[in-house]
Amino acid sequence: MGANGNPALLWRIALLATVVVFFQIGVVSEVPVFGVSADLSPLLVAFVGLLCGSTVGAVTGFGVGLLVDLALVQTLGVTSLTLTIVGYCAGRLREARDPQAALTPLLVGAAGSAAAMVLYSLVQFLLGVDAPVSWELLRQIVLGIVVNSIIALPVWAIVRRCLIGGLPEDPRRRRRRAYTTGGLSPLSRS
Amino acid sequence: MYDKTVRRRRAVLALLVVLSLILLTAYFGEASSGGLHSVQRGFLTVVSPIQNGANKALKPVRDLIGWFGDTLHAKGQRDELRKQVDKLRREVIANNAEKASYRELLSLYKLDNQLSVNDYHPVTATVVAKSPNVWYSTVTIDKGESSGVHVNDPVINAEGLVGKVAQAASDGAQVTLITDSSVGVSARIGTSGATGIVQPKVGDPNDLLLQYLPANTQANKGEYVVTSGTVSSPDDSLYPPGIPIGQVTSTNEESAYRSVNVHPLANLHNLDVVQVLTAASGSLPSNLSRLAANLPAGQHSSASGEALASTGGG
Repeated sequence: MGANGNPALLWRIALLATVVVFFQIGVVSEVPVFGVSADLSPLLVAFVGLLCGSTVGAVTGFGVGLLVDLALVQTLGVTSLTLTIVGYCAGRLREARDPQAALTPLLVGAAGSAAAMVLYSLVQFLLGVDAPVSWELLRQIVLGIVVNSIIALPVWAIVRRCLIGGLPEDPRRRRRRAYTTGGLSPLSRS
Repeated sequence: MYDKTVRRRRAVLALLVVLSLILLTAYFGEASSGGLHSVQRGFLTVVSPIQNGANKALKPVRDLIGWFGDTLHAKGQRDELRKQVDKLRREVIANNAEKASYRELLSLYKLDNQLSVNDYHPVTATVVAKSPNVWYSTVTIDKGESSGVHVNDPVINAEGLVGKVAQAASDGAQVTLITDSSVGVSARIGTSGATGIVQPKVGDPNDLLLQYLPANTQANKGEYVVTSGTVSSPDDSLYPPGIPIGQVTSTNEESAYRSVNVHPLANLHNLDVVQVLTAASGSLPSNLSRLAANLPAGQHSSASGEALASTGGG
């Protein structure tokens, strides 16, 4: 939550989001894996939410979604809506549970991707886009989630590395570091 | 403080969701010349050069990633195509075999019509085994007595005379080819009508010799030799007249008779489908054959070794 007012972090996120969106459009979307392309946008938004909290996650989701919709000449607002929800939920997970397991990014990435794809499809159906609900569509969604899950950990590492310098000190992280370096060790105090 | 944070967080979420919905509704509802579309087009105009530049700059990365994907994909395609090639090759082989069979059957059909072979109750059979030695003097067919095939029945194919049935079992028969030394066929030269006996040429199992021709017989190279429709011994089968046997290749001068070398028309090394002229019991050819076989030796064996057991019209 403390990240909300950190301009350096917001700039980092904006730059990262722009690079990721263009990389997604220019490279990733043209490299099919198992017949589908990976989608970095929900992974980026979910990981920003997981690192920076719900508000930053939601804003990032809205911004990334708007950028994607503008760049791909899609219906404005659809991707923004879905990614806003994804970013917010990922941020809420951090705020409420603060999971520390090594596989958390993998699960968050998979869940974020699934939520984004399902929500996107739902909104498209609600808008009346003429696409039959078929096994092919389900297959595409499932394969998309699988592919995104595969790349979730590397993307998490990159996002974390890009943002870690701008993140406020995590009390728990600070406590761990102080303990291991002897700063707050009971032994050093005694 | 906590309530304020929560309220702000929720307010931001609500604001963003509402903003998204407004954008969505407005964009979806407006015409393509509307404001949001114009903004989008303007954004695209601004971003396009950047996108193009990024696209070119990132092409090596894309190619590298694509190379791995393509390699894996190509391997899958290669295996798939290999399977397809194998399948198609098998199909081509099967089609060629069927085509060859069809041609042979078509030729047999035409031959049947030309020679009235249908009177002889032809039974179409497939060669299932060939003599493994180089002479190919016998073949085994898949039709036997159960199909009406009997010993001494003539065997023909689309090209001409093949041989005669030597042994008949229930569902198979052994055919002695005309190149076998035990076979002698009454034959005549197509144009002159001179008759003689066709037998294999000694020392050359692929060639035939038409022997015992009158000394004044004129035989030109390339002339056809056909069955005369007579038998040369009681054991002979009655070959229908007019079945092509071979072509004259050369003439031999002998003391009292003349003989000519004949190259068989039927490719005896590559037999597949043949017809056995079964001449069912009671038919004209069958009766004639039986009559010829019952004749005393002196009556069915002339000086040329040939009895004139003519088939009449057959």
